[in-house]
Parts: sequence; C-alpha cells; structure tokens
Amino acid sequence: MTFGEKLKAGKFLITAEVAPPRGTEWKDVVRGIEPLKGKVDAFNVTDCQRSMVRMSPLAMSKLLLDSGFDPILQLTCRDRNRIALQADLLGAAALGIRNICLMTGDFTTLGDQKDAKPVFDLDSVQLIETATRLTEGYLLNGKELKGAPRFCIGAVFNPFAGPFELQVMKLEKKIKAGALFVQTQPIYDARIAEEVNDLVCELGAVPIIGLLPIKSLKMANFMKKLNPTSVPDSLIEGLERSENPAKYGWDYTIDLAHAIAEFGKGIHFMLVGKTEELASFIDYLKNHKKYNHKF
Amino acid sequence: MVVVKLKAFEEIVSKLKGFRKIFILGCELGSGRCKNGGLKEALELSERLKGLGFNVVGVKSPGGTCILERIDGRERSLLKEAKTKGSEVIVSLACGAGTQLIAENVDVPVITGVTTLFIGAEREGRIFNEYCIACGDCIISDTGGICPVARCPKSLVNGPCGGAIEGQCEVDKEIPCIWYKIAERMKKLGAFKSLCESAPFKDYRKSVYPRRLILEEKS
Repeated sequence: MTFGEKLKAGKFLITAEVAPPRGTEWKDVVRGIEPLKGKVDAFNVTDCQRSMVRMSPLAMSKLLLDSGFDPILQLTCRDRNRIALQADLLGAAALGIRNICLMTGDFTTLGDQKDAKPVFDLDSVQLIETATRLTEGYLLNGKELKGAPRFCIGAVFNPFAGPFELQVMKLEKKIKAGALFVQTQPIYDARIAEEVNDLVCELGAVPIIGLLPIKSLKMANFMKKLNPTSVPDSLIEGLERSENPAKYGWDYTIDLAHAIAEFGKGIHFMLVGKTEELASFIDYLKNHKKYNHKF
Repeated sequence: MVVVKLKAFEEIVSKLKGFRKIFILGCELGSGRCKNGGLKEALELSERLKGLGFNVVGVKSPGGTCILERIDGRERSLLKEAKTKGSEVIVSLACGAGTQLIAENVDVPVITGVTTLFIGAEREGRIFNEYCIACGDCIISDTGGICPVARCPKSLVNGPCGGAIEGQCEVDKEIPCIWYKIAERMKKLGAFKSLCESAPFKDYRKSVYPRRLILEEKS
C-alpha cells in the first residue's frame, strides 16, 4: 500500500524526513535510508530547509521514487511565485510524485544566502488552494489542464506558535483548502501530542505527530530556543542526569512514539540518523499485538 | 512619509571626486521630518564639505523636492539658481523621487546623499516604522487597520506563520509578530471571526512599477 492508500484506509502512518544533498551526490542519501525501505511509509523531501541551498526537492523526490521509496515533496512559498509553483506541481505529478506537503517556508535571512530575494507570492493556505485547483483540472487563472494531477496534499502545524487561536484558524483554512494530512513540529509531551491529534482529527485531517530525538543537552537547549514551550523541563532534567544523553533522548522519543501509536494516527520522524534503531522500532510496533491492528 | 537615511560622509565625498562647486538640495518633507536630509543636515554637510576644500555655492531645502514646481517654479527656481551659481554637481538629500526629479531637469550630475528606506509612521519624533509597502491592493480594512503585507516579512495574509513564537517575529526578534496585534485589535472590534475567511490572492499587477496616477483635469 502506498502512503496515500494507507491514509485513505485510516492505517497508522510513519513518515520520516530526508534532506537533499548540498551537491549532486545523492546516492549516499538514498543508501542512508535503505534500512527503512518498506517500513517508513513516505519520506518528506525538504525544500532548501532553513533557507539553505540543497538539491531541488523535486529532483530528489524523483530519485527517491526511482529508488523504491514513496516521497512527500515539500514545497515552500519562499523561492517560487505562483507560476513556478504550479509548474513544479504539474512536473511533480507527471514524474509520478503523488504526495506533497505545502508550507510557507523559512524566511531567506534565516539561511546562509541572506541576500536572496524572498518571493512569498502566495502563502501556505493559498498554495494548498492552488494544488487543489490543479487536481480539479484547472490552473489558477481558470485555464483547463491537459491532464490533471492527482495529489495527496499535506500541511504543517506548529502547536507552539501563536497566537494559538489564529494558528488553529489557519490550520482550519489549510484543511478546508484541501490538506488531507497535517505534520507537526517536534512535540515532546504525550499530552500535547494527544491534544494536537484530536484537534487535527476534529478539523477533518489526519494528524502525523512530529518527533525529533534529542541527541544532547545542547540540542535540547537549541530546540528550547526555537520553541521555548516545546521542550518540557523534565526532559532537560533527564538529559542532565543521564550519563548517556543520546540514549536518553532516543528512549524518550520511543516512549512518546509508543503513546502516540496508542491514541494517534501517525508519527513523523524528523531525524534519520538512527535508521537501524528506527527500523527495528517500526518492526516491533508492526508486530506487537497491541499495535499491529493499526497497520 | 518617505523615510530616508543619510549616507556616510565618506561615501558622499567619494562620489564628488573631480568636482569643486557643489549645490546642496535637501527636502523639508520626508528627509527633513526624519532628520536625515532637511535644511539642518544640508547645512551640516555643507560645512564638512567646505572643510575638505569644496566650494559649496548654495544650500536649499524646499518643502517638497519631489514637486517640480517647488524646485523649478516660475517665480523661484532652485535649479536655475544652481546653474547660475556655476554648480558642477548637485548633492541631493531628497528621497529617490526628489533626487530623480532634480536629475531630470538639470544638465550637471546629481549625487544622492541619502538612501530611501520606506514609507513609515513616526512617533516620539525619532522612531520611524515601515507601515506600508504601497502594494497597490490595500487590504487593511479587513485586518483591523494593521497591514500584514508590509508588517509581516512574509506578507502573510491568512494568518501567522509557524515561526511566531511567544509573540515575536521569527525574522526580526526586535518586533512583535504583527498577527498578534491584528488578533488583539480584531477581538476588541468584535470582528475576530471575519479572519476565518480565506484571504484572496494578492493582485501583484497592482504593484508593477513604475506606477502612475494622473488626475482628471477639472472642466
């Protein structure tokens, strides 16, 4: 079953993240996720994440597809106007890419080519509206397409951003515009994960809860700086006490993943460093009698 | 108003190589108001240039250098005055519009002494904030009179991005996320719910420059 089919069938979804290389050497990237083949349902291919140039996510998605993986092409509004976005979406569909995850994107000055011109012709809601319009067989200007794409459209949600009411309102607009699944920023608290899970379900999409294993106290503090309310004090204290913070952070994430497997619809691993460990965890979940009915 | 910033003195001087007789034109509208190119700054620049041996033949700062009649009127023409005094170059402290208008109407080179920054609002006589990017497609009636197009770096019209953490803008930590202000204002106005509607796509035809406004002649 493909990611899209599983989504429709209400199966538990496991996604992970792949950053295209800075350069043309893509084979190592594919080799790196080989242990997850057939285990992770789809791989989000990031679009010059944090505004740093990488290989085009469209090209990388096609390379993943050809290598036997199901990609989720991420597209942001940062670098392309509505003409380029529609063109890339049509191209992606023609190449066989079915899953897309659409977002506003980080701002240019946060990256390493700060002097670039930011585009932001559309915002995330409008980009989702655009993709939906294409699936209906039309360009934004109303012209009919020769061959309409079929997409499984996703969106993102940061439960720690504000103002919360407006974030929820925007999420609602994204889902109304056609987002079928919603991937979240990393969450480190089962209670928040459950609240977000319920919220996204209520709004009519499939929640896929973001998980990013903490490797060190330094990384935890960095995450706290990005999203102060996202990292609970108990996690920081645990990392401080632990003799092996990397193991502590990993076990913490796995505990959380267990909890989400019970109440949730999907998990999104935003770090593919520990592929072997992740692969065995997924095997365990799929084979455990407590969870296997969800897969 | 149009907000400008004086260039560094050294940069201005570097553009004046080979010239001796200089005419300085400020502007009492934007440049003067934001104290970066009005009469006071023009006179200060004049003194410093004289100190380097330049011959400053005139310093003027009309109330609107971007208005042709104010710099080249029938009764009083600052441009003719500059010519009569034998100016070899004009240093303009007016905004980009004023400086170009001077350049269009004189035969000598025009050097700008300022950089034009933005259309802003002033408070406390010293704080200037960009409030408008003249997008040509104004939506502020729908956003509580606060413009997300100009005051959100991403010009987001459907609500805040996921980087709006604890009320701060992700791009510039010194400023609040403008969507917090919009939310607060819309709540006060009892119009918060109207933000639920998906915002129409911006029509960027309306900001294709150079734009113009031509008034109908009164009959």
